[in-house]
Amino acid sequence: MLRLDAVTKRYGSLTALNGVSLNIARGECFGLLGPNGAGKSTLMSLLAGLRTPDAGSLTLDGAPLSASDLTTRATIGLVPQSIALYADLSAEQNLRIFGELYGLRGATLRDRIDEALAAVQLTDRRRDRVDTFSGGMQRRLNLIAALLHRPKLLLCDEPTVGVDPQSRNAIFDFLEKLNREGLTIIYSTHYMEEATRLCSRIGIIDHGRILALGTLDDLLAQLPFAAAIGFPVRASHAAFTAAIAPHGELTSDDEMHRFGPRADFKLSEFYRLAEQHGLAPQLFTHDRPTLEALFLHLTGRTLRE
Amino acid sequence: MNAVRVLVYKGFARFLRNRTAVALTFFIPIAMIYIFGEVFGLSRKDSGPAGIRLAVVNASSNRAAQRLVEVLQQEKAFRVITTVDNPDKTKRPLVEADLRPMIEAGAFRFAVLIPAPPPTGRQAAIQLKILSNPLNEIEAQTVNGLLQKTIFSNVPELLGQALQATAERQIGPQGLATFNREMSGAIANAFGGDREEINRLMADGDFGLSQLRTLAATETAPADGKASRSSDVFSRILKIETEQVVGANVKSPAATRVVGGWAIMFLMFALNGTATSLFEEKKTGMFQRLLAAPVTRAHILWSRFLFGIILGLVQLVTIFSFGSLLYGIDVASHLGNLAVVSLLAAAACTALGLFIASISSSPEAAQGLATFLILTMSACGGAWFPISFMPEFMQQIAKFTLTYWAMEGFAQVLWAGRTFTQLLPIFGILTGITAAVMALAIWRFNRGRLFD
Repeated sequence: MLRLDAVTKRYGSLTALNGVSLNIARGECFGLLGPNGAGKSTLMSLLAGLRTPDAGSLTLDGAPLSASDLTTRATIGLVPQSIALYADLSAEQNLRIFGELYGLRGATLRDRIDEALAAVQLTDRRRDRVDTFSGGMQRRLNLIAALLHRPKLLLCDEPTVGVDPQSRNAIFDFLEKLNREGLTIIYSTHYMEEATRLCSRIGIIDHGRILALGTLDDLLAQLPFAAAIGFPVRASHAAFTAAIAPHGELTSDDEMHRFGPRADFKLSEFYRLAEQHGLAPQLFTHDRPTLEALFLHLTGRTLRE
Repeated sequence: MNAVRVLVYKGFARFLRNRTAVALTFFIPIAMIYIFGEVFGLSRKDSGPAGIRLAVVNASSNRAAQRLVEVLQQEKAFRVITTVDNPDKTKRPLVEADLRPMIEAGAFRFAVLIPAPPPTGRQAAIQLKILSNPLNEIEAQTVNGLLQKTIFSNVPELLGQALQATAERQIGPQGLATFNREMSGAIANAFGGDREEINRLMADGDFGLSQLRTLAATETAPADGKASRSSDVFSRILKIETEQVVGANVKSPAATRVVGGWAIMFLMFALNGTATSLFEEKKTGMFQRLLAAPVTRAHILWSRFLFGIILGLVQLVTIFSFGSLLYGIDVASHLGNLAVVSLLAAAACTALGLFIASISSSPEAAQGLATFLILTMSACGGAWFPISFMPEFMQQIAKFTLTYWAMEGFAQVLWAGRTFTQLLPIFGILTGITAAVMALAIWRFNRGRLFD
C-alpha cells in the first residue's frame, strides 16, 4: 500500500532521514520506534505531505505522494503530536471545521461527528469548549478529528504524549478497533510499550536510518541473548557483576543491573556464580528481552536518551 | 539580599534576551519623541507648520498687493503657488478661475485672491478673498491666523491707500492730487524733507504707516482673543472675505473631519491580531493538521486575508453607523464610495498585518513590530495631527503610509463628496499598497519557517 524508496530529507547540514526504505501493507499497524530527534516526525511529515523529500520516492497505492497532490492527501489522516484543536471552540465546532475541510457536508458530516464523539466517549461534552477538557479528552478529540473523512491511512505522530494511563488505554482500544476494521496505521512513538502493544510490525529508527525492521519476535531474535535478568544495584554486587560481564551484555542504571546472557552461557552457570558471591536467587527477575534492550544493543543508547 | 540580587539579575537577563521588549522599551519611545519633537519644533529654532501649499492670485496692480504676495512667499509656513502648468508643460500665472477647481481637485487647500480694483478707480478698502478646503480644522485655523498675522504685520500701507481711495471718491482725482501736493509742500516747509518724495509717498498711501510693521510684528495676540491694536485698525479698512470651497454643505463638519482618523486607528489596531494569530496556529500545531488536509499555504493566507477584510469592513460599518447615529455624519449619501474605501483600507491593513507576521520570528516580535508601525504610521500619516505641522521631508514620508491614504480616502468621500471617478486615484493607491505588501508577505511566507 505504502512504499518508501531511499527517502532522504535534509535540513541544512543535518540529515534527518537517510535513505529510508519501507513497505507497509494495507491493514497493517506499523510502529516507528525511536528516541526524540531520530527522524520519526520528519518521516511523518513527508507521509502527510507537509514536506517534500530531497531524494527518494513515496507512493501510496502506486501513486506518488506529493505535497501538491490534494486528492491523495485527502485519503490520509494525521494525528499531530501537539493538540491541534481550536481551544476556544467547542468539540463539535472543531470537528465540523475539520470535516468540512475534507469536503463533508450536511447529514453525512453530522453522522460522522456523532459516531466519532460516541467512539471516544465525548458525546456529552460535544458543546463544551475544548479548553475545558482534560488532557486525555483533548487527545481523544485530537485523534477523531483526523478520522472524520475515513482515511485509508492514519498517521499517528506520538499521539499519547502527556496522557494519563486511562486515556492512553482508551486511545489504544480505539486504534486497535480501527485497525481490526481494516484501517492502515503508522504509529510513531518513543515508548516501546506502545509499539509492542499496538503494532504488528515495528521499525526502529535512529539518526534518520531504519536500524531494524520486523515483527516483535523478528526484532528480538536479533539480540544475542534470549533472556533478560535483572537484579538491584548494590555496592556488594560489584564482584559478581565483574564476574558475569564477560558472558553477556550488562547494563545498569541507578537502581537495576540488566544482564543478557550469551547463548553459550547457561543459566545454571549464572546462578552458580551468584551463589558463589552470596547473592540469593530471589534477588533476580527473569524476563523476555524488550525492544529497549534491542535499541541499546543496536545503538549503545537507551530510547529515552 | 542575595535572593533579591539574583532575581534582579534574572529580570535583566530575560529582558535582554527579549529583543522585542528591548525595542518596545527604547526604540518606540525614541521614535515617538523624534516625531513629536519635529511636530512641535523642539529641535528647530522656529516651530509651527511648514510648506502648506497656498495659491495666490494677484489681479491687482497695487504695489501693496505685490508686497503682500512677496511676504507670503517669505513665510516659511507656506509654499506659495502662483503658476499652473499648461497642457504643453509650460507655465502660466494662476487666475481666479483656476482656484476653485484646483482646490476641489486637491491641488492645494488654501488660496488667497487679491481681486482687480473696480474700474471706477481706487477702492475704499483693499479686498482679499481666502478660499479654503478646511478638511482639517486645526490646519485651517492655523492657516487663517497665519494669513491675518502676515497681512496685518507686513502691509500696513494698505491703511494709507484706503484713506487715499476714500478721499479720491469724495473730492475726485484732480482734487486729491491738489490736496496731496499742497499737503506735501506744507509738510516740507514745516518739518523739512523733499517735497516731491513726500508727495509720492502720500499718493502711494504711505503716511509713514510702513513703520507700523515693527509695531505689528512685535505685538502678541491678546489673551482675551480681542484684536490687537494694530490689527484692530487695519481690520476696518482691509476686507477679508472667506469662501469655503469644499465641505461647505457637510452636515456634521467636526465629526466628519475626525471620523476617518477614528476608523483608520481602529483598523490599525486590528493589525496586532492579524500579525499574531498565525503564530498562535503554528504554536498549537494547527498548520500541520491543516496542511495535511486538502489545504495549501495559499488557502491559509488568503483565508486570513479575507477574514481580515471582512472583519475590518464590519468594524468600519460599526464605526460609521455609530458616527451617523450619534453625531449625524452623512454616511447614507456616500454609501457606495465609502464601502469601496473601507474595503480597500481594510485590505491594506490586513496585508500589512500578514507582512508583519511573515517577517517576524515570534508572536512577540510581530506584536512589537505591529505596535511600532501602528504608532509611527498614525503619527506620521496624519491620524493624530495635521501633517503640515511636520517638517517637509516627513510630509513626504507620510505619503508612503497607508494611514495617510486611507484617511485621504475617507475624507474625500465624506468631506469632499467625491464621485467614484474622482476617487479612482486613491482607490488605485490603496490597491497598489495592498498588492505590493501582500506580494512581499507571500514571498516571505514561501521562504520563511512559519509553516514548518
